[in-house]
Amino acid sequence: MSEILFYLGAIMIIIGGICDLFGALGLLKFPNFYIRLHAATVGTIGGAVVPLFGVGFLALGADFLPHKYAIAGASFVTGIIVLLAAPAGAHALAYAAHKAKLVKWEPKVDHLAEVRRND
Amino acid sequence: MKRLIPLIIILIAIFGLAYYIAPKLPQQTELRPLGEFYLENSYFGDYSAKSPEVVTAILWDYRGVDTLFETSVFFLAIIGSLTLFRLNKKQEKEAKQKLEEFSGGLTLVIKDVTKVIVAMILAVSASIALHGHLTPGGGFQGGSALAVAPLLIIAAYSKYALEENGLDKTRALILRSIGLLGIVLVALVPLLSGGFIMQNQPIFPAEINGQLIGGSLIYYNFFEFLAVGAGFTAVFLLLAIPEKVFKKILGVRQ
Repeated sequence: MSEILFYLGAIMIIIGGICDLFGALGLLKFPNFYIRLHAATVGTIGGAVVPLFGVGFLALGADFLPHKYAIAGASFVTGIIVLLAAPAGAHALAYAAHKAKLVKWEPKVDHLAEVRRND
Repeated sequence: MKRLIPLIIILIAIFGLAYYIAPKLPQQTELRPLGEFYLENSYFGDYSAKSPEVVTAILWDYRGVDTLFETSVFFLAIIGSLTLFRLNKKQEKEAKQKLEEFSGGLTLVIKDVTKVIVAMILAVSASIALHGHLTPGGGFQGGSALAVAPLLIIAAYSKYALEENGLDKTRALILRSIGLLGIVLVALVPLLSGGFIMQNQPIFPAEINGQLIGGSLIYYNFFEFLAVGAGFTAVFLLLAIPEKVFKKILGVRQ
């Protein structure tokens, strides 16, 4: 059981590193604000939430660790908070940028057009 | 390519340090006398706080006056920012009035997520502060985490939502004063029973009903939690006054 948890946690941490790398590349290479926001969210969800859960699993699987339940619990709670907060934050940023007309863009579809018109 | 050369040198230096030099550094095998003294008098001894988080015990016990003055520096900073933003009664009323074009915060998604997260942040900050004598953390860190909750509410709902529900600047200042008063009273209690100022044991019990509460640490942590959280909240409430309103109050011409 502890070995399964160890490998699961280690794989999740590696996935987190890869997601962080891709998020950073995307932030550098993507053309405009909204798509870069997508890369940033990949960095927070894939690069922070997934490895936090991985750390939780690792801690649960480690028999030698004192206070392993405290460490696992803290990682899971932090992971859930980030999991809830990151999409809402990205949504808020995109909404605010759209409403304030700060970003120049040429959309194919604009589902939020009424927000701009109501201003 | 030229840029890569320093990077490669730095990487080689780091890996060289990690592989060849770090294992050869002499290891600390014995406890130093000072460390032994601190451990003996903050965890093991009869007159200690019996707190497994020795750092907190040292901070509030041996370096208690230092920590008290650190807290005072924080309070001076809060008072300084309140002085910068000082308003008379009429102006304060004006700052509390909603702007007419105010449409009521951000979208539904953000508001609902904020509701959930604020509850979680309150729980986490209370756990950081009230576990300060058992796990890393303590009053200041817990208070800083607590202050994030009103900040999120201000961002998602506006400051008027906080003020309509009763948490305005005056209340926050009262809470903060209660916190500081509590810290000072807990520091002065040992004087009454023949101890020294900010002494931990044996005036405060280390355990109540078998629960380890670490002597005076839990009281200090709780009051510091209250004071820091409320102080930050007061400053955030002032900073959230819309610029337009504040310029009108100051009489700046647009």
